[in-house]
Amino acid sequence: MQKFANPVVFLKLANAVLPWVWVLTALLFAIGLYGALVSTPPDAVQGEAMRIMYIHVPAAWMGLFVYVLMAGFSAVALVYRHPLADAAAKTAAPLGAMFCFLALATGSIWGKPMWGTWWVWDARLTSMFVLMLLYMGYVAVWNAIDDPHLAAKIARIIALVGVINIPIVKFSVDWWNTLHQPASVFTMKGSKIDPSMLWALLVMALAYTFLFLALHLVSMRSEIAARKLRQLRSNEIGAR
Amino acid sequence: MDWAAHNAGYVLAAYGLSCVGLVAIALFIILQDRKNAKALRQQKD
Repeated sequence: MQKFANPVVFLKLANAVLPWVWVLTALLFAIGLYGALVSTPPDAVQGEAMRIMYIHVPAAWMGLFVYVLMAGFSAVALVYRHPLADAAAKTAAPLGAMFCFLALATGSIWGKPMWGTWWVWDARLTSMFVLMLLYMGYVAVWNAIDDPHLAAKIARIIALVGVINIPIVKFSVDWWNTLHQPASVFTMKGSKIDPSMLWALLVMALAYTFLFLALHLVSMRSEIAARKLRQLRSNEIGAR
Repeated sequence: MDWAAHNAGYVLAAYGLSCVGLVAIALFIILQDRKNAKALRQQKD
């Protein structure tokens, strides 16, 4: 693992796998969208509006997954002081924020025809909104503080403290009475979704995961270049 | 299929918004990567 944490090795590996990750992403989106919009049947109760599930659920899963990943990278950065772990957490945050925003927005659009309202302050929606605020706070810290070492320290703490919100989001539908439905894919009794619909949902979830992987690799490459550039410029100023 | 009777507007809005959001962040990241790579090359030269 330490070997891949070397920026030179990481860049070599990232550049080699990136084209394949992009191809797989495109392929998964093509299959997933065909399933979501064409081949899967409409829901018996919700009709065609249920098709929003195929983009809402993967976005919500990714919003949670990316935050856990970000907290993991922050923990590694805190323990091992490895700058690449900080870069990985920093570059994951805007992507997680976008997934979280899309989960909230598509959920709201789905809520209007199904619940008769765009928004309610129930436990699931509110905890997801808090997750969005955590992402925004994390991104703001990196952008607002000029000293990258201080920004990294504060950002790590935000990421690690905020991870407490993840089980709250996940179990909010079990702990409180919510307008949002309880879990229906990963339950103790197996999935409650019919296999004719489930496959498209899982393919879309994989497509979102690969899109994240591709964009995260590009973003990390960009961050490494930006750090090298800062270093070269400060060396140049120091040499004058 | 009678899309109008099946909340097609909501479905299109949700897919449209997701598409715009994901394409926007992808473009932002890719352009930022190119900008940083170009600046680094110029600095090294």
